[in-house]
Amino acid sequence: MTDVPDASERSTREPQLTTLLDNRTLSRLERLRINSIRRFTDKRRGEHLAGRSGTSNEFSDYRDYVPGDDVRFVDWNIFARLNRPYLKLYHIQEEMHVALLVDASSSMMFENKLERARQLAAAFGVMGLLATERVSVGVFNSVGEAPTRLRPFRGRASMMKLFRFLEDIEGGGNAPVDDGIETFLKYHVGRGIAIVLSDFLTFGDMKRAFNRLFSSGLEIFGIQILGPSELDPEVAGDVRFVDCETAETLDVSPGELIGIYNEYREDYQRGLAQLCRQRSGRFVAISTEDSLEWVLFDLLRRRGWIV
Amino acid sequence: MSWFGFYAPSMAWLAFLIVPLVLFYFLKLKRPRLTITSLVLWQQVINDSRVNSPFQRFKRNLLLLLQLILLILLIAAAMQPFWRGRVSRIQRLPILIDCSASMAALDKPAGKSRLDAVREKVTEIIDGMLPDQELCLISFGRTARRRTPFTSNKKILLDALSQIEVEDVPSDVEDALRMTQALERTTTFSEVLLLSDGNFPTEADFELSFTLNYQRCEHPGPNFGITSLNARRTPEAMWDIFVRIEGSGDAEGTMTVEVTRDGERVGKESLSIAKGESERIVFRVSGERASSVEVKLTPDGFDSLASDNRALLDLPALRRLWVYAPASLASFRHALKPLAGIRLFPDEDGKTTETDFDLVITDRADEKTLSGRTCLYVGLVPEALSGLVTAGKKGTQVVDWRRNSALLQHVELRDLIVLDDPRSAENVQESDYEELGYEVLVHGTAGPLLLEKREGEKLAYHMLFHTDRSTLPYRVGFPILVSNLVRLAMHQAGLTEVRANHTGVLSAIAVAPDTAYDIVGPDGIKRTERSDKDGRLRGIPAPRVGVYSVHKDGAVQSKVGASLLSARETSLAWVEEIQFNEDLSVLAAGSAPRMDRSLWPTLALVALCILLAEWLYYHRSPAWFSK
Repeated sequence: MTDVPDASERSTREPQLTTLLDNRTLSRLERLRINSIRRFTDKRRGEHLAGRSGTSNEFSDYRDYVPGDDVRFVDWNIFARLNRPYLKLYHIQEEMHVALLVDASSSMMFENKLERARQLAAAFGVMGLLATERVSVGVFNSVGEAPTRLRPFRGRASMMKLFRFLEDIEGGGNAPVDDGIETFLKYHVGRGIAIVLSDFLTFGDMKRAFNRLFSSGLEIFGIQILGPSELDPEVAGDVRFVDCETAETLDVSPGELIGIYNEYREDYQRGLAQLCRQRSGRFVAISTEDSLEWVLFDLLRRRGWIV
Repeated sequence: MSWFGFYAPSMAWLAFLIVPLVLFYFLKLKRPRLTITSLVLWQQVINDSRVNSPFQRFKRNLLLLLQLILLILLIAAAMQPFWRGRVSRIQRLPILIDCSASMAALDKPAGKSRLDAVREKVTEIIDGMLPDQELCLISFGRTARRRTPFTSNKKILLDALSQIEVEDVPSDVEDALRMTQALERTTTFSEVLLLSDGNFPTEADFELSFTLNYQRCEHPGPNFGITSLNARRTPEAMWDIFVRIEGSGDAEGTMTVEVTRDGERVGKESLSIAKGESERIVFRVSGERASSVEVKLTPDGFDSLASDNRALLDLPALRRLWVYAPASLASFRHALKPLAGIRLFPDEDGKTTETDFDLVITDRADEKTLSGRTCLYVGLVPEALSGLVTAGKKGTQVVDWRRNSALLQHVELRDLIVLDDPRSAENVQESDYEELGYEVLVHGTAGPLLLEKREGEKLAYHMLFHTDRSTLPYRVGFPILVSNLVRLAMHQAGLTEVRANHTGVLSAIAVAPDTAYDIVGPDGIKRTERSDKDGRLRGIPAPRVGVYSVHKDGAVQSKVGASLLSARETSLAWVEEIQFNEDLSVLAAGSAPRMDRSLWPTLALVALCILLAEWLYYHRSPAWFSK
């Protein structure tokens, strides 16, 4: 009797496509799709049904014939039964752009936050590519520098390209997420979904950044990635906090302030969620301690982000 | 006048340390740096906590505030602040501590003695001493003893205080006051603190030259004790032992008295004493041998003082009185023969080998060397008086005599004819005899006829005329005089009455002359004394009740018992007011002495508490607290 290795053992023994996601996770992702609400689409033909009528195989509605209509679209079967001409309307199928915005500033280099952002970007990219969407990636590090971009691409064949790009992301820099988003939008063309992977810890105005995304025809998927020390800080005595990006300092005697900190963090997260919701977007906060499988196949599916 | 002051105000310069403290605080040199992802949330938290709570602004610098308070407390402690206890500051203060027997009285069963209470009070004073103040400790019982010179060294004072023990002796406050007065000649002080239970006479023969602060101890519990112990010889040649039991003012109760003789119980009696009364009980023991008698009192209830519950009495063996009277004094021998309890030397054959007698009666100058505790020299003028007395030829008569003298009781000397004529030399007065230690008992027309002199334990009578040349032997008073002389001799020899020795100083103990002896007493008392040329150990201190044994080369030579036997100490009475000479009186103070009180220990304690609080608050571990 021979031992049959289980799926997990196989996945560790088999050569992996990428260091970000194991093959087993990739195979599960192949069956999932990103579920957008607003259906922002490009004019290009694609597989996503646009809100307006067009030419496709997907029936939409009937309407009365008016002079000037193309007679090729008259439904002759209806005409034969009712002796009146009706036009048969079809949905238009357009392409959706999946923009992956990865915050790779210094603040993301704590407690595997950047690693988790890469993994999620890879997961969303895979889902977009397999759904024949156009996928682009923007990585922002420092203020004033152009974001590192992976130009829009599509198709299963581009999957390795996506993986190599994400694997090669280098962290560091002082770019706040709002500034990074605005810089990214200068180079971006296309409507669809903007998946922002960041800790959203910025002194900047996230409202303005989200407005720019919304006005650019991008549905906001905000994923806040925090480490355990940000969710439940444990600090004793008087300390001088140093901001890793701005090098600014702040003298704190935590004590009972930890309780106030947690209240502020929760308020901040509620504020971000509200900003996204007001712009037909979505927001979720996760910890780096949460497993990737749980986030992808449990949390995001239950929230309806992916189907 | 300020009730508050600083002993070392110059230490205020330490206040400049506040400047570097504040600088260091704001420079925050030692604040650990912690790199975090972003200050976004913390900045909001800090801003909000500062704005929303008025206390936060203060709380923000709470650590600085605590450190400032800590520093100020330490500076204040270094300046040595004090509360002034009285109008004028005391620089030097002699403290008289009563350590007499009554100071051992307890306030309750297994409670605190009066001396313990005094010790606590003095310790408090010493602890609160300021550096420029000096104390001098003097303890007094029967005598005063300076324990320390004037010093501000607390260790010396506390050590000396701890060494003060209760002595089983009555107190003599006058001795302590005199010693203090002697100190005043070399050291200046204005006030003296007297800590006592007030168990001393109301009047003190002392001229008070300083302010006396008399602090009296609290009243103790009830007490019973033996206040008198003596024995008298009975006609049956036995000893009657008399024991007096008394109680303190409001004490009443039952008790048991037990008498043992050389460890063997010879009597036991239960008695009850009512309030304000005393009881005398008698036990009879045989006098055939010398023995030590111990009387123990065991009260049934609580008894404040233990030292007066035991008394010791040394009984000599009863024997006949050894009397020497030469054949030439036939009248004396004739008068002595009928008296009982006498052994007369020389015997009928005119022989004697003894040289030590209880009574020596002689008219021969060469027999003056005979040893006797009581002597009567007949017709012999002492050498010391050779310049004062001359022999006349006219004869003389008795002018007057001292009728209350023990020797001359019931002796009628009027119209006595004396053929000798002892005359005082010109300008010699009676005071001249007294200066030489002689007391004139019988005055003749021109000089003394009978003199008495006490030389230590020896009692000597000098009859300056010979009885054979007078009508005295033919007078009725002659046998009475001889009988009185025998009675005196028996008393001198301790054959009629014996009294228990008191504590304080032992009476002279007869030993070999000029020899060192070890004296071992109760409670480990041990000392070495040397006997004098007369073979007496004198001045041996006996501070405790018990048996004092004299050792020579490890062998016990003799034993002497010492007992408190003081009605005043047993009564535990107290005086509220001491009356001094010149109508000065001192009342017992109603409250504890108000001394300057040093505040630096309190400030240091508060500083320590603040330090601990700061440590707990700022250096605690959240994980530890969460446990």
